[in-house]
Amino acid sequence: MDLLSIGRIAGTLTTWWWLLLSLAFFLYIATDGTDLGAGIFAVFSKDEEERGAIMASMAGMWDGNESWLVVAGGVLFGAFPLVYGSAFNYLMIPLMFALWGIIARAVAFEFHIHAKKSKRFWGWAFAVGSLFATFFAGVSLGATLQGFPMKSGLAMQSGLAAHGVFAQDYTTPVMHFSGGILDFLTPFSIWTGVGAVIAASLAGGLYLCARFIPGDSIHERARAWTNIVSLLALAAIVVTLIWSYAIFPWAAAKWTGSDWWIWLIWFIIVLIFAFKSSTNHSVRKDFSAMMWGIGVVALLWAAMWATIFPYVVPNTWTIVQAANPADSIAVFTLFMTGFFPIMIMYNWYQIWVFRGRFSKKMAYGAH
Amino acid sequence: MIIENSLPILLSRLDFAWITSMHILWTPMTIGMSWLLFIMEVAWLRTGNERWYKLNRFVEKIFIINFGAGVATGVTMEMAFGILYGPFSQAVGPFFGNILGFETITAFMYEAGFIGLMVFGWGKISKGMHLFATFNVGLSSSLSAMWILVANSWMQTPDGVVLKDGLFQVTNWWNAILNDNFQWGFPHMWVATVELALFVLVGLSGFFILKNRNADLFTKLLKPALLALIIVTPLQIFIGDSIGRVVAHTQPTSLAAMEGHYHTYLPDGKVNTGWHLIAIPNAKNDGNVFAITIPHVLSLLETHTLNGKVTGMDSFPAKDRPDVWVPFYSFRVMVAIGFFLFFIAIWGNWLRLRGKLNATELRKRPWFLRALVFSAFLPYLAIWCGWWTREVGRQPWVVNGLMRTYQGTSHMPVAMEIIWWVGYIIFELTVWAGSWYFFTRVIKKGVDGIPDSSTLFDHDHADAADVKAGGGHVTPTFASKPMLRSDR
Repeated sequence: MDLLSIGRIAGTLTTWWWLLLSLAFFLYIATDGTDLGAGIFAVFSKDEEERGAIMASMAGMWDGNESWLVVAGGVLFGAFPLVYGSAFNYLMIPLMFALWGIIARAVAFEFHIHAKKSKRFWGWAFAVGSLFATFFAGVSLGATLQGFPMKSGLAMQSGLAAHGVFAQDYTTPVMHFSGGILDFLTPFSIWTGVGAVIAASLAGGLYLCARFIPGDSIHERARAWTNIVSLLALAAIVVTLIWSYAIFPWAAAKWTGSDWWIWLIWFIIVLIFAFKSSTNHSVRKDFSAMMWGIGVVALLWAAMWATIFPYVVPNTWTIVQAANPADSIAVFTLFMTGFFPIMIMYNWYQIWVFRGRFSKKMAYGAH
Repeated sequence: MIIENSLPILLSRLDFAWITSMHILWTPMTIGMSWLLFIMEVAWLRTGNERWYKLNRFVEKIFIINFGAGVATGVTMEMAFGILYGPFSQAVGPFFGNILGFETITAFMYEAGFIGLMVFGWGKISKGMHLFATFNVGLSSSLSAMWILVANSWMQTPDGVVLKDGLFQVTNWWNAILNDNFQWGFPHMWVATVELALFVLVGLSGFFILKNRNADLFTKLLKPALLALIIVTPLQIFIGDSIGRVVAHTQPTSLAAMEGHYHTYLPDGKVNTGWHLIAIPNAKNDGNVFAITIPHVLSLLETHTLNGKVTGMDSFPAKDRPDVWVPFYSFRVMVAIGFFLFFIAIWGNWLRLRGKLNATELRKRPWFLRALVFSAFLPYLAIWCGWWTREVGRQPWVVNGLMRTYQGTSHMPVAMEIIWWVGYIIFELTVWAGSWYFFTRVIKKGVDGIPDSSTLFDHDHADAADVKAGGGHVTPTFASKPMLRSDR
């Protein structure tokens, strides 16, 4: 029975995990993107009360949201360890900065409440940390799309040789990252960093509009902010698409290949979602505006993953090359898949419990 | 020279050791304290006694600062395997990667989901639902500890795998998960978290009684905590001895390093049975420059006979020997702390037997109270020392006997390793200093400001009642007074 051959099942399961990986990353972007964007908004807050109110508005949810990033990391390690062990090595610098941003904002949430004299400091740590985390996450994404060089053998060979140490013969067929530490840094990856900041700023603006009472100073400032950033975001999408088309042959081949009309329809749907978000926003249906906005992200994210298929990292790791042995992927599937709906359920329940609108005064008073 | 001690590899070890050490400062308290919070909440719900509610809410404030620091350092931890030890992560992916994936999915996310409800859910969700949330925080954090110990124990006693195509492919999942080291290693770590949490409670009680603030309330907390400790502290010593014997069987180099035991036989050909109280290893790592030695004790400890043979470092090639300094001294500090904490538990229960466990009598014994406060810090040091013993003792292997540390290190220049280290020293010391500073803030504020539990469901959102959230989908629940964050 060809249908039941181990290789075939493993291949299918691996593709399944590739989809779940994309889902985990998407849930991270969709949930924590708003938190990060609100943090970027807070960079421009004039007073500490506003920053405090923004932080208080996400107090019960941010750690659940941020955990999707850890889940995505866990899925990557569990299903695609070959990618995990090489891509993170390649992305050492941007991940380091993004993690510092995440650390700064994670502790700022707790410290800001208790601080008296240092409130300003922790408020800034939250805001700047959000900006850093978003920018460097965007850089990491752009850098990953570009792929990276690899070879087999001892990874630390050159580092050891530079210090006059010569290791015994060590051979392994596993391909590890072999490029330079600054390979990630290109105009495109810097642009995707900027693009991530713009996208998060829009999500943050929509979130703050939905989270604070109309007429409240934060709500009104977030409105103006959203109006400007939405135009920037539209421009950023177009620039990113054109740039990607120019430098990524694998993307160009798909977008203008024989299935070009699917991509065109998809793009039109994206525009419709963006339009719906903007019309809802203008009549102050803020929650709907935010959901349509997240819909735009979902569509673009799905399109990106469809474009890189069958790769996990374009031109570097295909799904099949990067997968764990059949046995491990089967065990991972058996025990872990069921947790996804459960995780989504309780993350949703958590957000549901803490729903509702704030005013700046209420939030800050409660802070 | 051993490659693992060359600068590039040593730095990558230090990079990883630093972020691990700064992460394990937080998680044991989360794991142990969540169960104690659960017990306090049950006590409140069953007896209706307000003091358990207040103590719970007070300890919870410390707990949540601690949790924030744990998440902040933990996200780095999870990525650091791939960043600093990429080739290791790739090779062990089929087992270790799966286990870490299990951890994030079944434990980390699970915990994050319920902790928000536990901390911010007071008065928003029913009492039963809240207790359920607290229980799940306890269960999920313990599950997390279990998976992490599965992964780390497997690095000590890798079982159930074969190395094929450069990957550790699993042949038997049960053998790999329930490996020799895990069977005692996990209980040892888990009991350590409970012991740490109990000593934090006991230390807090000591402090408040010493300062005569809410002395009666904290005496009520001290009593059951001391009773629990008279069980937990000797249990931990027993488990520690058991894991020690597993190490002796499965990692003889690690045991030899822990004991500074260089020579299997003495120069005259007799079995070397001496146990060193203090030792100064020489620079070549093939003997001690100086040692205070008690004969027969090592054989007694490891073989339970007077003259049993214990394999020394000289039975292994020089390139396979770990450094002795760290395992030798951190092991001794850990053991000394374990016995000291047992002594504290005896002291406290001796006072109980003589009926002295009340605020008036305790305040006549300030040294006992000071010892309690001091003891709150010791489990942290003991856990550090235990982990250092474990990790340095396993060197030069990253997967014991199968993969050497230098083979698992990522491709990176020395300058980058230094930048990483310096950066994380700054960031994580700030996290540490900040967290402990804000602990003192919470302690200074004390228990008195916490409103009664009767205010929990006393909703009053007149000021926001007419505002519909999310463009008119739901009614706000934010403004209820007892939920103000200043309550925390």
